[in-house]
Amino acid sequence: MLLLTNLTKAYNGVTVLTVPALQLSPGIHYFRGGNGSGKTTLFRTIAGLLPFSGNVTLDNQYEINRDPVAYRMRVNYAEAEPVYPTFLTARDLTSFVGKAKQTPAGQVDTLAELLGVDAFWTKPTGQFSSGMLKKLSLLLALLGTPRLILLDEPLSTLDVATAARLFDYIAKLRREQDISFLLTSHQDVSLTALDMTGIWQVSQGLVTPAV
Amino acid sequence: MMVMLPLLNRVFTGPFYARNAGTFLVLVLLAFGFLSGNEHRALIMAALGSPFFLAIVFVLWSLYLLKTVSFLWQELTAPEHLFLQTFWLVPTPKRVILWLAVQTALLFPVLGYGGWMLQVAAQQGRWDSFGTILIFLLLLIGAGAFLADFRLRHPNPSTLQLPHISLKLPYELFFPTYWLRHEPLSLVLTKAFSGLLLAGVCRLYPTDDYDQRLLHIGLLLAILGHAQVGGQVSAFERKYLLFLPNLPLSWAQRLGKYALTYGLLWLPELLVLLRNCPVAIQPDYVIWLWLTGWGWLLLMHGLAYGYEVLPERWLAGIVAAFVIGLLLIMFGVPVGAWLALGWLGAVAVWYWSFSLVRSSA
Repeated sequence: MLLLTNLTKAYNGVTVLTVPALQLSPGIHYFRGGNGSGKTTLFRTIAGLLPFSGNVTLDNQYEINRDPVAYRMRVNYAEAEPVYPTFLTARDLTSFVGKAKQTPAGQVDTLAELLGVDAFWTKPTGQFSSGMLKKLSLLLALLGTPRLILLDEPLSTLDVATAARLFDYIAKLRREQDISFLLTSHQDVSLTALDMTGIWQVSQGLVTPAV
Repeated sequence: MMVMLPLLNRVFTGPFYARNAGTFLVLVLLAFGFLSGNEHRALIMAALGSPFFLAIVFVLWSLYLLKTVSFLWQELTAPEHLFLQTFWLVPTPKRVILWLAVQTALLFPVLGYGGWMLQVAAQQGRWDSFGTILIFLLLLIGAGAFLADFRLRHPNPSTLQLPHISLKLPYELFFPTYWLRHEPLSLVLTKAFSGLLLAGVCRLYPTDDYDQRLLHIGLLLAILGHAQVGGQVSAFERKYLLFLPNLPLSWAQRLGKYALTYGLLWLPELLVLLRNCPVAIQPDYVIWLWLTGWGWLLLMHGLAYGYEVLPERWLAGIVAAFVIGLLLIMFGVPVGAWLALGWLGAVAVWYWSFSLVRSSA
């Protein structure tokens, strides 16, 4: 499903992430590691948010740099600590991202109801709590017809009821649409009740299978 | 105190000068590019002898103070600077001294020019003006320090907020709305400078036998007055729209969206130019000029976007652009060439930087 080769990411000449080769099969993969281990950098790199050297290929077909638009149409990302312009509403952001990701009809309404974002649809994000911001970021990451969704700390600040609905929905997307997921979490991932395909350890910028 | 001052300077003083490098350059060019030292001295002498003229100088200095205070207030409420709330715990006399030091650093250009005026006043024996200027400069520093400390002690004021509009906001309006709501003084100063400059240049035409090049020089300065906007757009999107690079938009689609945003920001200048179009200038020339300005704004956006450009390098680039641009205008390079250069340059730089970002570590 996803192949990373010769990937290195450096900030100001200091290498923070090195992945000589990593093949991820379709499914749900959990990446664990301490603070500053490189999980978010790995996710942002795969999502196409950061420049890097190396190759990232989805489904043996879409290379992140060679096919930037097709790749990004199929890979979505929800950040760990989302921040949005305080004057924009969930409607503004969903409209923009949904249009770019070519959201199918009715998807926005379904997701807004599922995550409870419909309750504050036209409220400026400056009035959101951290949990509301998290719900909005998850909604944006589920838009369109992705093949891979990266969820960085999806459990943090999310209320229990919404988290349960979210993980039921993820299991459904996995089962019915063959969508793959990469997750990070400092919480107990067994709470998600998701069947993990792979568990990986990120430490000092290196990714290894967890034992 | 010696531990805290460097930190405050790194949070406030350095970023203030870095963020306003373009504005400072244009002001320096205007103030010292067109006037010699002797002419400045003559202006200072005139101000020393005329309370009205001196009052105008004080108004300009007060506007600069407002700019520094606006910056301090904005930074004090920024989420990344919430740790500065602990500064409130520092004993008041010590805190006030620190604020005075920060404000002195921020007011440095005004204090420098004021110092020159004081020197001239002392030489000329104009002790009444000397005293007035000295007191006003001290008041500026004191007022700035007081206002900064006031915001520190009132971190969540119920200030006048622009009403929230319930219409759906398209992406092209994200940055203009942010600029209006969060950095209004920067918006007003940039647009006022650019608009007044163009209107002023247009009104110079009836006074002498000028050709089209004068308006072209005015346009060059108006564009350089927007030099900081690309950096502001970049900072806004990197802070608040982290998801943008993940969107499946081609380089051309992204450039198209920025072109619309900049077209909107540059629209007031078209109205100013058409409203004040001199008789000696054809209206279609004015439209070509405006389109040229639009392209060059987009080119500057491409050069600034996504890079951590060192302020001194950016400043050097702007100075070079001004000098080269002035020479080319004086040698009569036609507006069509400027138009093509601006737009083609904008497309080329954007395409090149987009490719570079995708292929570099």
